[in-house]
Amino acid sequence: MRICLALVAGSLAAAVSVASPAFAQKQGGTLRISHRDNPPSASIHEEATISVVQPFMAVFNNLVVFDPKEKINSPDKIVPDLAESWSWSPDQTKLTFKLRSGVKWHDGKPFSAKDVKCTWDSLIGKADEKSDLIRKNPRKVWYSNLKEVTAGSDTEVTFTLGRPQPSFLSMLAAGYSPVYACHANGRDMRSKPIGTGPFKVVDFKRNEAIKLVRNPDYWKKGRPYLDAIDWKIVPNRSTRMLGFIAGEFDMTFDSDITFPMLADVKAQKADAVCEARPSNVNTNLLVNRDAPPFDSPELRRALALSLDRKTFNDILFQGHALTGASMLPPPAGVWGMSKEMLESMPGFSPDRDKNLAEARAIMAKLGYTKDKPLNIKVSTRNIAIYRDPAVILIDQLKQIYIEGELEPIDTTVWYTKVQSKKYSIGLNLTGLGVDDPDTNFYENFYSTSDRNYTGYKNPEVDKLIEQQSAETDRGKRQKLVWEVEKRLIEDGARPVINQNVANTCWDPKVKGLVLQHNSIYNGWRFEDIWLDK
Amino acid sequence: MAHIDHDAELTRAGAYVTGGWSQIVFFTRRYPLGAVGALIVLAFILTAVFASVMAPIDPTATNARASLAKPGGVHLLGADFMGRDMYSRIVHGARISLAVGVGAMSLGCILGVSIGLMSGYLGGWVDLATQRLMDIMQSLPLLVMAIVMAASLGPSLRNTIIAIAIPLVPSVARVVRSSTLSLREQPFVEAARAVGMGELRIAVRHVLPNTLAPLIVLATAQLGSAILVEASLSFLGLGIPEPHPSWGRMLSESAAEYVRSAPWLVIFPGLAISLTVFGTNLLGDALRDILDPRERT
Amino acid sequence: MGAYLTRRFLLMVLTLFGMSVLIFVMLRLVPGNIADILVDAAGIADPKEKAKIIHELGLDRPIVEQYGQWIGGLARGDLGFAYVSERPALEEIAPRIPISAKLAGMALLLSVLIGVPFGVISAVRQNTALDYFLRVISLSGLSLPSFWLGLLVLMASVHWFGTIPIYSNEPRSFLQEVGLLSIPAAVVGFRSSALVMRLTRSSMLEVLRQDYIRTARSKGASQTSVNYDHALRNALLPVVTIIGIEAAFLVGGLIVTETVFNIPGVARFLVEAILWRDYPIVQNLVMLIAFVVVMVNFLVDMAYMALDPRIKYAD
Repeated sequence: MRICLALVAGSLAAAVSVASPAFAQKQGGTLRISHRDNPPSASIHEEATISVVQPFMAVFNNLVVFDPKEKINSPDKIVPDLAESWSWSPDQTKLTFKLRSGVKWHDGKPFSAKDVKCTWDSLIGKADEKSDLIRKNPRKVWYSNLKEVTAGSDTEVTFTLGRPQPSFLSMLAAGYSPVYACHANGRDMRSKPIGTGPFKVVDFKRNEAIKLVRNPDYWKKGRPYLDAIDWKIVPNRSTRMLGFIAGEFDMTFDSDITFPMLADVKAQKADAVCEARPSNVNTNLLVNRDAPPFDSPELRRALALSLDRKTFNDILFQGHALTGASMLPPPAGVWGMSKEMLESMPGFSPDRDKNLAEARAIMAKLGYTKDKPLNIKVSTRNIAIYRDPAVILIDQLKQIYIEGELEPIDTTVWYTKVQSKKYSIGLNLTGLGVDDPDTNFYENFYSTSDRNYTGYKNPEVDKLIEQQSAETDRGKRQKLVWEVEKRLIEDGARPVINQNVANTCWDPKVKGLVLQHNSIYNGWRFEDIWLDK
Repeated sequence: MAHIDHDAELTRAGAYVTGGWSQIVFFTRRYPLGAVGALIVLAFILTAVFASVMAPIDPTATNARASLAKPGGVHLLGADFMGRDMYSRIVHGARISLAVGVGAMSLGCILGVSIGLMSGYLGGWVDLATQRLMDIMQSLPLLVMAIVMAASLGPSLRNTIIAIAIPLVPSVARVVRSSTLSLREQPFVEAARAVGMGELRIAVRHVLPNTLAPLIVLATAQLGSAILVEASLSFLGLGIPEPHPSWGRMLSESAAEYVRSAPWLVIFPGLAISLTVFGTNLLGDALRDILDPRERT
Repeated sequence: MGAYLTRRFLLMVLTLFGMSVLIFVMLRLVPGNIADILVDAAGIADPKEKAKIIHELGLDRPIVEQYGQWIGGLARGDLGFAYVSERPALEEIAPRIPISAKLAGMALLLSVLIGVPFGVISAVRQNTALDYFLRVISLSGLSLPSFWLGLLVLMASVHWFGTIPIYSNEPRSFLQEVGLLSIPAAVVGFRSSALVMRLTRSSMLEVLRQDYIRTARSKGASQTSVNYDHALRNALLPVVTIIGIEAAFLVGGLIVTETVFNIPGVARFLVEAILWRDYPIVQNLVMLIAFVVVMVNFLVDMAYMALDPRIKYAD
């Protein structure tokens, strides 16, 4: 409810700022933002973290983009970027873009359809052997249906799909889908990339700073407003927060301010503008279904019933997190189940006592009691945002006679450990780059996916995933999506604890910022932001 | 190096004054700071041993309603953002600190004594090789060495103890070696050898006890620095992992984010570390005065 | 003397060589490597992509060959390429050195300026209330974790001044830089000054017990003149040693203080590089630190020899 209010308030604020006359916008100034950690590289296509997207999206353009003025990314709110227009072939398998002409890369070379072809050829492994534009691709599943990219002319490019896939355009509209320059090389893209976007990279000093300056030749007239953006990498969160309070930074890193911290920020910087929004990152459980004890479906059911989502939410988010399955629930999410639908699902019933009683009965039947508990290890990445919920989980498991011991895993070996099934329960965070069922289901639950860490296999679910992906009728697709969600919950595939919500704060002089409410990875072009000094 | 007559020194320092109580009174008079230190260390050890009695609340139990609770009432020292009782965490944290401090110190001493005895007693190429190895280890500052070790081993209680113990080895080995070198030629060692005592037995029975005094002084100093290094490692995220209530860990990440709204999260664990280390330092100073007259201050 | 110098120098080289082997082997025992991190940071676990990166970086070559390559490069002044930034390691490390050096220099200066006088006073007034007071202060200085002190300073600074002394923008002038570094330097220096004070005090006490001081006293020299003319001059010699001990002690303080105050120096960089398994950076930084420590000790020995002709180096 509070989120709804925040949304309404936020939309109102956006409406006001959009409606304000154009002459009010001031040119110039440097925006100073704190960054939470060292981005692994500057190459958006090679990485899967907000640490890269937020600072570097402003260097690039996409073919199309989610309307930056809208708070909710949805398939019908996609606007042109480097493409002026697009069209689908009658059989819905060929997507042709008409490209803008006269656009130049930051090094002065002209942009053409060849660059688009190069970028996506690299992503689907069709690039020239010698090309090293992209050396790893964490989003292979996004393009598993992309067969071919052809450049019709300098200003026309066609994407050929294996079968109709309405989500394809949404993926191209994400912050994760910039167009790279064909003549660039991978090493430069990772350290000092060039793009066609509103800002140029001046310097990317590891562990220290990222400096972007205005691209004077930007193809969009009158943009950007800012002269420069200075990112300062400050790994210590308290130092970062103190820096914002002390006015060293105009803006915090995306979702950097948790609810327990918000009071502190507000108390010390009364004029700070803070907006809460779902990050489309959910906290979930990985359950090893192939080894005892959790190969028992009954035990998995008891586990699902033992989750006290409200307590997680109260502690970590002061009650502001959303309850949902794997797709973000409305109103911020486009595809998730409503509250009423959710509450009919196992483990989501608000009647906590009934859930606990049922879970305890199962445990008793399996021979576990208070004096003879089940001992397990709860594995998680050794980072606070992973560890904190794991600590709460262990505390809750005690109520159903499970004694958990936390096993913090070094980040470097976390995925390897999970994939080799050397765990019983893992506490995990899953983020979605686009609020889209294809990206989520194919990535995390399709039986042959790289990132289906738990090795979840259900041929029926695989079939449903395929069906919803190819369905062009929005209403029918929505029903299929809910069906998949329901199956995943019933199977306890990856029980979702909370859909996370966090705050981003800025100084009131920062204007024109519209945060996207169903993906933190979109909307960071910075071209419409200006400083009211 | 002159052989030290410890009995005489101890007598002079008042350790052998008749009766238990008067000894304590004498020590307190002669070394008031040392007595304060001993008291702090004693309190620290008792806290660690009787943690469950002193703080019955489970230090890992979370509670949404107590999130960032102010000190007072049920939560004597407040609660962290997960509603875990700070008093309980600090009391149980003493266990972690004691385990790491004593564990690292003992391990460091055992290794250091063995290496030092071997090096000093055997001499020759063994001595030369171990000395060079100690040189290498001492070319890195304690914390840097511990950081590299901790990262190599991964975060856990056991690994943290090892990571801190290894860098402590060279200084122990050096002290034991130099005592051993001078003791090796002493008449009582010669005598033992003459009556046909085995070399190992001589080293352990006759040489080792005579190196104890400087060793105790060093070990007390190392207890304090082991506790500090553990806190620094945990602060940097390389030490004891959650949910163990380590004082250093409490000061990293989450605690410091609430500096204004919940300063107790920063103040109390820091005080606990400082006070404990302060106590061991005071005690260490007094012990040095008693046991190592050359360094008398 | 010449022979001693040569021997001492050779030992130094040997120590550094040993360190290089030690750190090289230890890093390769660490679970996970840069390929794991790069691939995991992207949230994928594709063994093919890992293998490609490992091959690209030469991590699949025999360990002896890798070591030879590093040391060979080091001898030519080529530190290799940082894994994460893909830039020459020298370019990554070099600009951070002066920042840490300035911080360390200021902290050292501060610790000597505070520690020596108070150490002398404490020794001269042995066992008086003043001595006890100074000793308690210095001991508590040694007992406060410097990151805690740093956090308290930051908290206080926001509370009273509404600003914090973090290094968010490159300082434009020397004065501004001194201003920015002075607070962290004070935090590091406070701890170090406690150490300096204790060492000064004990060496001063030792000197005061020496025969020539007793002689001077018996000859009727005034107490003050004995204390300050005779004793202090001789006690200053060990202060040189103290600086040597300090060098190693300071680095530890720098690591946590640079983290707390977000100072882009080498010490914090080392911790980050370890977490990223960026071997070229870690190896070279560790060698740099070892070199500084060994070199300072060497120089201290030299200074000792020059200052005190009584010391003989027969060993």
